[in-house]
Amino acid sequence: MGGNNKIVAFCCENSACAAADRAGKIRLYYPDNVRVIRVPCAGRVDVLHILKAFEKGADGVLVMGCQEEACRHLTGNTRARERVKYAEILLKESGIDGERVRMVNLAPEMAHKFAQEVSEMTERLKGLGPTPIKNGGPQR
Amino acid sequence: MNKHVLVIGGGTAGITAALGLADSGFRVYLIEKEAAIGGQVASFCCKATEVCTKCSVCLIPQKLSEVATHPRISILTNSTVMGVAGEVGNFQVEVWQKPQYIDSERCIACGLCAEVCPAEPQAICSPSPEAVPLSYILDESRCLRFKGEDCNLCYEKCPVNAIDLDRGAKRQELSVGAIIVATGFEVFDAREVGPLGYGRYPNVLTGLDLEKIFSHEGSLRLPSNGKEPQKVAFIQCVGSRNEEHCYCSQVCCKYAMRFAQLIKYQNPDAEVTIFYIDLQNAGKGFVDFYEGCKETVRFIRGVPVEILENPSGALEVRFENIVGGKIDRETFNLVVLSVGIVPRKDSWDLARVLGINLDDHGFFDARSPIDSNKTNVEGIFLAGACHGPKDIPDSIAHGISAAEKATEVLQRCKSR
Amino acid sequence: MQVKIGIFLCDCGGSLRNIDFPKIRGNLEKLEGVAFVDISHNLCLEEGGKALASRILSEDINRVVIAACSPELCEHNFMRLLESLRLNPNFLSIANIREQCSWAHKEDVTGKALELLRMAINKARLLQPLERKEVPVNQEVLVVGGGFSGMESTLELSQLGLRATLVEKGSALGGKLSELEGFYGLGASPKEMLGSMTRAIEEGKNIEVLTSAEVTRVEGEVGNFTVRIRRGGEEFPRSFGAIIFATGYRAGILPRDFELRPSVNIISQRNLIEILQAPEKLERKPETIGFILDVSDESSRLATLLVLNNALAVKEKWGSEAYVFCRNLKVDSDGAEKLYREARATGIAFLKFEKKPQISEEDGRVKVEAKDVLLGEEISLSCDILVVEEKGLPPEGTEALSSILNIGLDSQGFYQNENVYLYPVDSGRKGIFLVGACRGDLDISRASMDVASAVMGVCELLASGKAIVEAEKVRVDPDKCRACLTCIRVCPHGAIRLVRVNTEKEVAQIYDLACEGCGICAAICPAKAIDFEGYTDEQILAEVEAIGE
Ligand SMILES: Cc1cc2nc3c(=O)[nH]c(=O)nc-3n(C[C@H](O)[C@H](O)[C@H](O)COP(=O)(O)OP(=O)(O)OC[C@H]3O[C@@H](n4cnc5c(N)ncnc54)[C@H](O)[C@@H]3O)c2cc1C
Ligand SMILES: Cc1cc2nc3c(=O)[nH]c(=O)nc-3n(C[C@H](O)[C@H](O)[C@H](O)COP(=O)(O)OP(=O)(O)OC[C@H]3O[C@@H](n4cnc5c(N)ncnc54)[C@H](O)[C@@H]3O)c2cc1C
Ligand code: SF4
Ligand code: SF4
Repeated sequence: MGGNNKIVAFCCENSACAAADRAGKIRLYYPDNVRVIRVPCAGRVDVLHILKAFEKGADGVLVMGCQEEACRHLTGNTRARERVKYAEILLKESGIDGERVRMVNLAPEMAHKFAQEVSEMTERLKGLGPTPIKNGGPQR
Repeated sequence: MNKHVLVIGGGTAGITAALGLADSGFRVYLIEKEAAIGGQVASFCCKATEVCTKCSVCLIPQKLSEVATHPRISILTNSTVMGVAGEVGNFQVEVWQKPQYIDSERCIACGLCAEVCPAEPQAICSPSPEAVPLSYILDESRCLRFKGEDCNLCYEKCPVNAIDLDRGAKRQELSVGAIIVATGFEVFDAREVGPLGYGRYPNVLTGLDLEKIFSHEGSLRLPSNGKEPQKVAFIQCVGSRNEEHCYCSQVCCKYAMRFAQLIKYQNPDAEVTIFYIDLQNAGKGFVDFYEGCKETVRFIRGVPVEILENPSGALEVRFENIVGGKIDRETFNLVVLSVGIVPRKDSWDLARVLGINLDDHGFFDARSPIDSNKTNVEGIFLAGACHGPKDIPDSIAHGISAAEKATEVLQRCKSR
Repeated sequence: MQVKIGIFLCDCGGSLRNIDFPKIRGNLEKLEGVAFVDISHNLCLEEGGKALASRILSEDINRVVIAACSPELCEHNFMRLLESLRLNPNFLSIANIREQCSWAHKEDVTGKALELLRMAINKARLLQPLERKEVPVNQEVLVVGGGFSGMESTLELSQLGLRATLVEKGSALGGKLSELEGFYGLGASPKEMLGSMTRAIEEGKNIEVLTSAEVTRVEGEVGNFTVRIRRGGEEFPRSFGAIIFATGYRAGILPRDFELRPSVNIISQRNLIEILQAPEKLERKPETIGFILDVSDESSRLATLLVLNNALAVKEKWGSEAYVFCRNLKVDSDGAEKLYREARATGIAFLKFEKKPQISEEDGRVKVEAKDVLLGEEISLSCDILVVEEKGLPPEGTEALSSILNIGLDSQGFYQNENVYLYPVDSGRKGIFLVGACRGDLDISRASMDVASAVMGVCELLASGKAIVEAEKVRVDPDKCRACLTCIRVCPHGAIRLVRVNTEKEVAQIYDLACEGCGICAAICPAKAIDFEGYTDEQILAEVEAIGE
């Protein structure tokens, strides 16, 4: 695959994973640069995971959880959103564009939104070019 | 005592009842008429805007996969109940299963059969993405083999030997201690209201169409030209609250308001109007939602009497403007008919087989309002919209409640 | 124990043609700890499973990595298979190479599939066994609130052989049943209903009733709650396996809804029911009666049903003229439309307004002025009696109790968050159920549906007297825990508590049975003291690691 647009998507198994599966079932072809990491709830995703993903070579990170107010664990998705915001700040501080990380709310049947978010992030990453980390730039 | 329970109908209510029973130790046979379980909601869409609008559709996929993998639930698709004998604690049920040309337990949904099928249009089709079980489906009327040709290509291609076009129907006898009826409803056929033009005008859709469009496409486009609709009208109570269907369908106002918000969310420039008689906007969690709707959606108290398509394809809605007291007209790009819930036409057959009663509307009759699961036959219970209009949360509650009643009656049989 | 990985690649009947399976095999075989890489065509079927089982046994591997369809479809089966082979079911890691790889892309995706497998393998190396444990659960159930919902819950529990303790704040059972004189839909008068339910409770097996009692504290978790109950001057602890809350609601006329306070002429539904039951109290027969709904905000279905039933009763008993003022008549409940039609057929007039009507008192009569949108006319009605609705409000102490219990309220202040996963009767905390009017304004038929749902939920949890849990799937490392209470605060399912390990130290502990496995605590713990097997930081990062390779 190569290129500078590798995306790590932390996906809640109650919603986003199902949406991703459905996208495959209805053959909504989307860019193949995304790697889904299944988590029990978006609330499991920590700032650490997001930052490490960049350190390990990801160019963008998506955190995908249930719709607002429809989290199987009540507050998991709102906590995830807070953490994504925080990660954004930390990334900016180390010279990485905050646009490279995004919180997405999905319902299990939203295959289109899943595919669209991946495509949009891919386009965004193409525009942004390689991360400073990959360029041997500032490390966290 | 027989610790098996039969659940007829694999919609929201049926799967909820089946899971409740199976989780507390009973063995469940889930009989479904169609090729997949899930009922009406399987084809519905999420109606969330920025936040969830509590339509509850997203609860179903997970329940379906739980049912499919539950060790104590056996699913019989393409099946119907043909006869019932015996009594509570010991019913003998005769079940007929249509020929399983494609064995759904073996089919791995690889799709190789569809690649070789020479029929035009194809006789073997992929299941809908939500289908549980996820198995390919054969349409006999298109299949060459059923037209007398010697084609057996799919059979030869199938890598897991799931196909046998010569299979016959199967008759099974099940013994169960209790029966739960969860056969659901039919959606009102809007063609019956001729002046509204459904089926004649491409841009007149129903609520059910909208569910499917959003579910399949993720957004709404005009059927006539694929453009985003700018002016949308919803017409409430199509097929409800009239002489023939003298009840409120209990779901249409809510889904219409949710769709209205969803359309506004996806296209803030769109104008959405809802024509109504009385808005059903009460209920847990709905008060605040309605407040939000009032700001973005235009509500008109009025009953559209006729829709005309003008040469440009725009739809002229003629309505009795109750507040103004005259017939008004206004044009829209898209009109959505909020169709309601009507009894299944085949309810009568099942009622006869089971010996249970129908009510005045044609839904199955419950013995008392306090106990809306119990029928006139001991050991046979109702669950979900087959007993009368219900939304998803109510169908779920009714389903669990039926499971509890069945548990109770079986325990009583045991101690007898 | 040395990690020995067996890898099974399933090509789904040979249909995943944009993946080069032999190439992947060649690539993975070389990896450290990998015992073999098999290619199967039908792993999810019986024959595929058998082949898998025999390979696992003959090669004596201890981690299984599978590349196949969505774990949604196959994970359960494979876990069951591992269990039957006496291999820990947690030693399984699945790469979804069908829905999320082969089917999702047109081009050749061998590279992506390989990476997904690398992720799964990395994770598999770190997987730890999870022990399934049987824990005993207390089969006694606490029911709080002795109205219809509470009494019915108690009776049904007892019929199913569970012990129930019913705690009622007031001095007698009944709730609204004892306050109201008439009820529709019961098939009996409320007094009769209450009488027969009370008798059944007295005769019922395994039932204890505590009146004039209140719950002051709830500790512990599903299967093992410790509840402090105050009765008279004394307070005592009791243990229960589950709790059903049926504390009902308080009904009242909201002063802000009317310019006028209730008077002889402006009465509530409840007053009207009383008068209907005992008409002799009335000086003279009312000629004109008005009913009004939707005054401050939208009225409930219950209020509408009451108006329809009472208007019909008034018509039948006294032949009075009846007028119903409303904005939207809520007919979305069983039988309401029929009643509405019946009411109109008997001559009851329905006047629909958009703007709130003016209400004034005049010469001992009540005047209602409104613009009726159906006629388009200003209407002025002078009636002998105006019947207003009582609004359902959360009972006093709801907020306090909700914070004791750590469960949410909705925007109206009733129990239960507005979250679809909780409907109908869940609270978010396992073993605590919310039934009847305490979670919103509802009538008896809905309340009885709630009761059955909650009783079913209790049965699922407690009927066998034991529960199977995955022990310590989520666990707190007592050495790292600084008892900052963050996790206890954030756990949405109330599954964490503070326990004393020795005289100096208290630490957080997770109660396996109550934990729903979301991992919110593991992500938030500032001391990184919480580990979630299957999703530990190391395991997640190991997956991430494979991405760069
Ligand atoms: C247009 C529309 C939109 C809606 N939107 C919403 C919404 O947004 N939110 C909401 O909460 N509710 C909504 N509803 C209501 C929702 O569809 C129902 O609450 C729900 O489907 C009821 O579930 P059920 O299981 O009772 O019936 P069904 O979903 O109808 O399931 C019945 C099942 O039984 C099977 N069956 C029937 N007869 C037999 C037989 N003889 N033998 C074997 N099987 C049989 C059927 O094939 C079907 O699978 C909507 C309804 C409509 C019409
Ligand atoms: C005027 C009026 C008329 C009605 N008419 C009808 C009708 O005709 N038909 C119909 O179906 N429904 C009717 N209803 C609705 C019906 O009353 C309720 O649906 C039903 O009573 C709900 O029962 P419940 O047990 O949930 O609550 P309640 O009956 O309110 O009972 C709650 C009980 O819990 C107790 N309690 C509260 N807090 C605590 C605490 N902290 N600790 C211990 N105990 C506590 C209370 O003392 C009370 O006994 C009417 C309601 C009103 C207000
Ligand atoms: S709007 Fe409906 S489907 Fe979407 S998240 Fe909310 S309840 Fe689920
Ligand atoms: S994993 Fe979730 S439910 Fe379990 S203890 Fe942690 S926060 Fe609570």
